[in-house]
Amino acid sequence: MIKKQYTGAARRARNIIWNAAGRYDFDPPFMAFFANGHPDQYFNMVAGLVDKWLDMPKLWDFFLSYEGDRRADEFDDYLWLGLENCVYEKELPERPILAQLRRERGELFFIEQQQMSRQQMEYQSMPVFTQQEYRWATACGRRPPLLTPREKRIAQALRFSGELDTDGVLQAMRTFLLDFFRFTPGPDTVKRHRATPLAKLLFKHEHKRRDRLLVRAGTGEGDHEKARQQRHAGLGRHVGPGPEDAAYVEAVFGRASLTEHELRILENELCVGDDGLCRLWVTKGEAVQTRDKDALEVRESAARQEKRNEAFCAGHAAMIEGSVRALATRIETVFSSYLRHLPEPARAGRIRPEAAWRLPVLNDALVFLKNGEETDPEICVDLLLDASQSRMHSQEVLSAEGYIIARSLQKLHIPVRVCAFRSIRSYTVLEILKDWRQPDCRGLRRYFAGGWNRDGLAIETLGRLDDDEAIRGKTRLMLVLTDGSPNDSTPLPTNGLLLEREYEGEAAVRSAQEAVRRLRAQGLRIGAVFHGNTSHLENVHRIYGHAYIRIQKANQLAQGVSDLLLMLLREIRQD
Amino acid sequence: MSDLYTFLEAEGVDKALLAGVKTFREKYPTEAENAPRVPDPEYYYYGKKTWELALAAILAGKNLLLAGPKATGKNVLCENLGALFGRPVWNVSFHINTDAAYLVGTDTYDGHKVSFRPGPIWLCAAKGGFGVLDEINMAKNEALAVLHAALDFRRSLDVPGYEKIDLRPETRFIATMNYGYAGTRDLNEALTSRFAVLDMPVITEDNLQKLIARRYPGISPKIRDQLVRLYGELERKAESAEISDAALDLRGLLDAIALMEQGLRSGDALDMCIVNKSFDAYERGLIRDVIAARVPADLTRADVFPT
Repeated sequence: MIKKQYTGAARRARNIIWNAAGRYDFDPPFMAFFANGHPDQYFNMVAGLVDKWLDMPKLWDFFLSYEGDRRADEFDDYLWLGLENCVYEKELPERPILAQLRRERGELFFIEQQQMSRQQMEYQSMPVFTQQEYRWATACGRRPPLLTPREKRIAQALRFSGELDTDGVLQAMRTFLLDFFRFTPGPDTVKRHRATPLAKLLFKHEHKRRDRLLVRAGTGEGDHEKARQQRHAGLGRHVGPGPEDAAYVEAVFGRASLTEHELRILENELCVGDDGLCRLWVTKGEAVQTRDKDALEVRESAARQEKRNEAFCAGHAAMIEGSVRALATRIETVFSSYLRHLPEPARAGRIRPEAAWRLPVLNDALVFLKNGEETDPEICVDLLLDASQSRMHSQEVLSAEGYIIARSLQKLHIPVRVCAFRSIRSYTVLEILKDWRQPDCRGLRRYFAGGWNRDGLAIETLGRLDDDEAIRGKTRLMLVLTDGSPNDSTPLPTNGLLLEREYEGEAAVRSAQEAVRRLRAQGLRIGAVFHGNTSHLENVHRIYGHAYIRIQKANQLAQGVSDLLLMLLREIRQD
Repeated sequence: MSDLYTFLEAEGVDKALLAGVKTFREKYPTEAENAPRVPDPEYYYYGKKTWELALAAILAGKNLLLAGPKATGKNVLCENLGALFGRPVWNVSFHINTDAAYLVGTDTYDGHKVSFRPGPIWLCAAKGGFGVLDEINMAKNEALAVLHAALDFRRSLDVPGYEKIDLRPETRFIATMNYGYAGTRDLNEALTSRFAVLDMPVITEDNLQKLIARRYPGISPKIRDQLVRLYGELERKAESAEISDAALDLRGLLDAIALMEQGLRSGDALDMCIVNKSFDAYERGLIRDVIAARVPADLTRADVFPT
């Protein structure tokens, strides 16, 4: 019934819980799903109501106190029946529909029971099943099963009163486990049948100063042979970047294209909140002299990658040019439906003094100008490429994909800028591969993967780089080529908490989502081209809303990007 | 006016301000030709403090900028102000292509000569109306520069090639903006400084209760209470960016009650007026979950309007 799991339906389950709890700032420790994977509306509500009426962290501590015991699932199921009754009684006066929802949940229990396979029945704990059957039968007015005297006492004990507070509920839970299972939760009483994941938990914090670009490959969390994903492995708390880190970043990626003063202003504005421990570096790749061995090693590797990118482009020249043509044609079609209208002669509007004589002489009233059918693109496009380590297995393809998009836009005289982003040693580095005015897209061959990706900060930084004359007055679109998995070794600020929270998973997605929301509020249109694992699809949906497309191969790019542009342009037109 | 005036008295709005409204109306009575443009509001705006702030600004001769998220009653307040002061209202909806000609007026040929066809701002200035500049931050800032002289101490409108006209003293401009909408932009300082800015609060549960009770006096208090809580829950969900603002629609909620009054079942009415405002199937699922946790889908008119 209540299981700790995260599936595709998890967001929906979480929403039901948050809604019932009346707050959205916590990650629910429990979610409820039916056997078919659909979220259980009623029991997720119950989980939310537990947070609303009781002190969830205290209860969670209690559940954790017997984690690892072989009867843990059974205990969970029992205790949640108790909690269900408690919060039901508390909430009912405020939410009369709860009685109906409880009845319907009861009916669903019996429908589900009929559909259970024999194996599922075998996995089911029969004593728990009996209690559930009894609870739901009474809830929906069915005839309850016959209970033994002990089962009756259990059923009675699981009717936690709605008048109990958290301590009362905890006492009732302890009493229940003691009376019926002679069990008192604690490290000595837990009968383990599996290894606790504590070690994993403890070693989660990494000594960030040891970050290097190319040493983390193959830590084994990718979902196929070649996929590599960095893990936050190590010990110690975060130490902020020092001058040697700045020197390393400069040595690897090149001199900053912004002055120190400009960078400081950007940092003051953007490196706050979740990104409070980060620094920024914006570069066009202008190399500097260095003797740093690490940096030289990375630079050599990047040079090798550049050659590989070139070789890939040469080997696939026909396919790439074909894709550019296809994409340019599609974009042209899309843009033809959204463009600024050029003036044309009309019978009302702004008068054309040079043609005014036609009125009295020729009785021609077409001496005015109005917005006509012809149009002028008032659009410019920022293309942002994720250049983190996770893209390592597809560097050549990504470089080519970026080239295809940039070149197609350029063909249509739409200003385009291409940047790659990654984070390393607490610096989020934005590397400009092609600037607005650069006439060719050769810079894209410099693309290489390495480091982490702090998506939110990178997107916001690029959003702020908008002072070029070439794009003044134009509507900016930003396309992000992403794998939907923001992850950085620089943690989120502790904000007074003892332990650091890593920039990964839920917290990272939320941070990126916020960044995108803020930029959209400023009028910037952002969409994502998603090229990654299905497991990260939900992240992309959360970060970018509907404005994303998924591609799996380079030849899907034309269709995908044009669809995305169409989506963004429609948005503009609707506003 | 009298109904609205009595309503404001009952809401406890400052008496001195209401006396000021009376004096204003006596000084600037509604002309017969303008009477059809004076709004007759269907809903009253609830919020004593907001009323007081708005009245003080209008009486002091200031232009108002109502800033706030969706469904905070910006347009309802605009309409109410027009009705209370008895002024004709010109409502201009701003969009990305709004330009000076659209606002002030444009040249046209009337069959004999080129003549000026006045736009809504010009009419508003000449007839002493209230100009409602709806979603002002949707327009490009340069298009709005034409309004600067009209909005500041000069109170005049200069149409190139034609006469410069002075705004009548009773003319006011009330702009609305929603800084959350996609496509909106920040107003520049020059424009913002010409307005008194009123940050519109989200309607409170109490005021929403009153609003529904006034519009639908026959509704069951229990159902009304659940609908108000439902609205609050949708609001929290939208605030947390779990759903878009699409379903957070006060008009939608009121429309849904209207449909239930017509005999539609609650589930269908809420689907039509709230759920279906989102065009994303997944989001619709989330919204339905919230509704299902508050309002049964099979309520009939007799359940919702028992008397």
